Amino acid sequence: MPLPEFDYIRPKSVEELVSILAKHGSEAKLMAGGTDLLVLMRDRLVRPRYVVDIKGIGELQGLSWDEGRGLTIGAAVTLNEIIASEVIRERFGALWSAASELADPTVRNRATLVGNICNASPAADTAPALLVHNAEVEAVSAKGSRKIPIEDFFKGVKRTALGPDEFVKAVHLPNPPDGAKSWYLKWKRTWGEDLALVGVAGLVANSGKWIVRVALSSVAPTPVLVAEIQNAFEGGGTLEEKIEKAAASIPGGICPITDVRCNAEYRTHVAAILTKRVLRKLLGLG
Amino acid sequence: MSKHKISVRANGQLYERDVEPRRTLLQFIREDLGLTGTKCACERGDCGLCTVLVDGVPTKSCLVLAVEVDGKEITTIEGLMEGEELNPVQRAFIEHGAVQCGFCTPAFIVAGGALLKRNPSPTEEEVKEAVGGILCRCTGYRQIIDAILDASKGAKK
Ligand SMILES: Cc1cc2nc3c(=O)[nH]c(=O)nc-3n(C[C@H](O)[C@H](O)[C@H](O)COP(=O)(O)OP(=O)(O)OC[C@H]3O[C@@H](n4cnc5c(N)ncnc54)[C@H](O)[C@@H]3O)c2cc1C
Repeated sequence: MPLPEFDYIRPKSVEELVSILAKHGSEAKLMAGGTDLLVLMRDRLVRPRYVVDIKGIGELQGLSWDEGRGLTIGAAVTLNEIIASEVIRERFGALWSAASELADPTVRNRATLVGNICNASPAADTAPALLVHNAEVEAVSAKGSRKIPIEDFFKGVKRTALGPDEFVKAVHLPNPPDGAKSWYLKWKRTWGEDLALVGVAGLVANSGKWIVRVALSSVAPTPVLVAEIQNAFEGGGTLEEKIEKAAASIPGGICPITDVRCNAEYRTHVAAILTKRVLRKLLGLG
Repeated sequence: MSKHKISVRANGQLYERDVEPRRTLLQFIREDLGLTGTKCACERGDCGLCTVLVDGVPTKSCLVLAVEVDGKEITTIEGLMEGEELNPVQRAFIEHGAVQCGFCTPAFIVAGGALLKRNPSPTEEEVKEAVGGILCRCTGYRQIIDAILDASKGAKK
């Protein structure tokens, strides 16, 4: 089935994009890699009058990192560019591993990080990594620019905090605490390309005091950070006991559904197991 | 909906065409350029049979608009011969019988060739990873992987 009709616009600057959205916001859809948008359009689930291709905008390209400001990833940066970054591999392991698990290498030549979060699927692989890394989303419109903490960005299945005239310019990740490590584990039906049955990102640091964060995909209407995990590491006990306590808090922090890929009970079970696995991996317990 | 004039170099030849925005690169290649070696199956990015190179990068052409490739260079299975000779991946596919029904073959050869250009001696894992976005419903993966690995050895000689 052919795609429905639309007009194609390719702005060259952020200002141009701002004015296009100010004028046509509710009738327009942005396109980065198009790997979600074109599928949704083919299925007639979205019918934009205007498709606005953002890949011609220089300011949205490229990622940068520095010791003070941390990591900034522009809206046109592809997942393969993220995987190729040494800094991300070394300091933002959860983001690196999530990008490496998303779809397949050919899709990742086009698919972007920002497209992944703006699509706001509960299964978005990069979202848990951004949650454990305290990312901020830089949103821009004719009214100016604002920073949205990633925890406030997802509003429901396929819904975000963005207004119709607003777009994401970049995502910022602060430098993680000293000695922090992070990783993402994805449970799928096959070794090849598949959406997550459950995805779990963890971040662990300890310079005197434990900082432990765990966030999950595919277990609630939005990707979720489970705050109780931190409490499990505040009290006494051995590391193994803390991990068990952390895993025991998972079912209370999620609300999975049964769908074509698996049932809710299975998701709850796997979520706790993956939480233990990712924490054990980050704590060097094999 | 207004058409856009695009100019694209496909397999070395320059084409100028007016395209509707909704035309995919896959439709453009098969229907406007008549290059039917690139196959159309799922049209939603899952099967990878429409894989072509855009400026040398493997790309699922069903998820790209033709207007987006204005000024770019496209390589399809028809453009892989080295003069009158088959390229090493094409030759290895024949030697290994890595073809059953043949419908996925162009995509695997295009993606396999792109891998060897980037990484002339891949491991088996790297081959599997690189072609992971392409499905063979006859499930002849073993021969396909062996052929790409063998072509990499041939290229090193
Ligand atoms: C075969 C296949 C496999 C896939 N596997 C996975 C997987 O394993 N895990 C996973 O998480 N996803 C998967 N996806 C989904 C998709 O590839 C990812 O979500 C991808 O990161 C989307 O990025 P994109 O650049 O292609 O987004 P696009 O399709 O360009 O955009 C997605 C949405 O975000 C909006 N948007 C894009 N950029 C902006 C911006 N700057 N500001 C505001 N809105 C914006 C668009 O309007 C659209 O609604 C898969 C898709 C396919 C086709």
